[in-house]
Amino acid sequence: MDLKELHQKKIKEVLNERHILNLPLVSKDAGINTIFSVLTGRDHIWIVDKKGSKKLVGLITESDALKLLAPSRVPKYAFGWRHGISLQYGTAKTASDIMHKQLCICSLDDTVGRVLSRMVNAGLRRLPVVEKDEIVGEIAVHYILQLTLGKV
Amino acid sequence: MLLEIGLALILAKLLGHLFEKIRQPIVIGEILSGIVIGPFIIGKFFDIDFLTPEIEGIAQIGIIFLLFISGLEIGTKEIKTAGKQGLIIAIFGAILSFVFGYLVGYAMGYDTNVNIAIGNIFVATSVGITVRALMELDALHSNIGQLILTSAILDDLFGMIILSMTLGKGSPPMLIIKILIFFIAFFLLYYTIKKLKGSKLYIPRLVLTLGIAFAFIFSAFAQNLGLATIIGAFFAGLLFSNLSQRRRMLNAVRPMGELFFIPLFFVSVGASFDFNALGDIGFFVIFFISMALLAKAIGCSLGAKISKVNIRDSLTIGVGMMPRMEVALVVVSTEIAREIFKKPLADQVMAGTILLVIVSSLITPLLLKRLYKPQENKTKSVNNTLTS
Repeated sequence: MDLKELHQKKIKEVLNERHILNLPLVSKDAGINTIFSVLTGRDHIWIVDKKGSKKLVGLITESDALKLLAPSRVPKYAFGWRHGISLQYGTAKTASDIMHKQLCICSLDDTVGRVLSRMVNAGLRRLPVVEKDEIVGEIAVHYILQLTLGKV
Repeated sequence: MLLEIGLALILAKLLGHLFEKIRQPIVIGEILSGIVIGPFIIGKFFDIDFLTPEIEGIAQIGIIFLLFISGLEIGTKEIKTAGKQGLIIAIFGAILSFVFGYLVGYAMGYDTNVNIAIGNIFVATSVGITVRALMELDALHSNIGQLILTSAILDDLFGMIILSMTLGKGSPPMLIIKILIFFIAFFLLYYTIKKLKGSKLYIPRLVLTLGIAFAFIFSAFAQNLGLATIIGAFFAGLLFSNLSQRRRMLNAVRPMGELFFIPLFFVSVGASFDFNALGDIGFFVIFFISMALLAKAIGCSLGAKISKVNIRDSLTIGVGMMPRMEVALVVVSTEIAREIFKKPLADQVMAGTILLVIVSSLITPLLLKRLYKPQENKTKSVNNTLTS
């Protein structure tokens, strides 16, 4: 597919059913062991408000789980409480303790080009597609690469 | 000036690292390196003058960075989730500290402005040292640990609010209007930023630049209203903590501040430590420190007791909230820069606060170890849950 043409396309035109049905969703009160077991199969988890709901409230990635395994230390100048969250001290109990709460999102009407530049700006490889606070799909760099090669 | 900055950075790094090794706050190492480089040790024998206006300027920027980072890290969302118990503990701690500080000044026969200024120094807790101590006791996950952490968040906020209400210049009615203007501006921007969140404007790293710029603009705004610059920087941090770029902004701003501006601020605090001040006012310093420690311990214990924590745990919380660190030093140097204290008193208060920082961070871990009693039925760490 022509790159320029791809950039003009809207997310809803390119979104594949696979990226709508097969989302890794876990509720925010899920225990840390659930998170780890889901992460053995997927490299990220979208955290939703409660079981059955699709209201997106957070994200946990592989690297967040890795950080939990490292020995925790307090930074040079410490404020707030986020440095206190660690598996080592039993302070990371549920998904909501460790998730990213402020997410970069996109909507069905955004163009691929816009989504790509948002990913570049934020240093991310995957954005949730959100409509009215509910997650309806996800779009990843990997998938866009497949599109450019016409392998979808 | 250039040589001094270079030397100060190296010395601060070395002493800071040394203090980290012996499990003391890095900040104290940085202050000590300031004392070393200051007019009483190195400055006495070599031609080195650290307290020049240029370095004062850099230290001022360090203050703005420090408060901006603290606002960003604390964040409006965390404030909302702090809970009722944390709120009560923080309110009692903040108010009692302020009152005790005021009484210290009153007992020494100073005028009202000075009394209020001393009260302000007493308000802001720093939990860094408590977090470390609780980690070593494996108590961070306990009820006490969680209560200390959540109330410490609100504590900083209350400190800033009390500061903005008391440190302003001008007649009381004008001052109230100024404070109102400041907070109205804050909330207007807060909601504009919330609205702009999904906007389609893309300029790479725009938000990072805007964040730093707003830290300074808000500081200038606060200063023009007659409030202190640090209030502006803190609320600018809170403003930007709402964005999804918060973590990226912290990742960018933290190294900028931590590598250059903030250490130089703490070194300049150390350099202004006056040994002569100690001789005259030994009594004042001891009175000052003990009242500061007692105020927080009593206030927060009382707050915890009222919110239905048992006596021993309440005391532990009170002790855990005792340490003062970054914010107290920022408040002192701001107040000195605003010439609230007359000359000999300024040196005494500065010396008193530096010693307060050191003493509180030495005794808090010891007292916590004595007081903290692990609960029988505590939900022991997740390691068990994972294997079970």
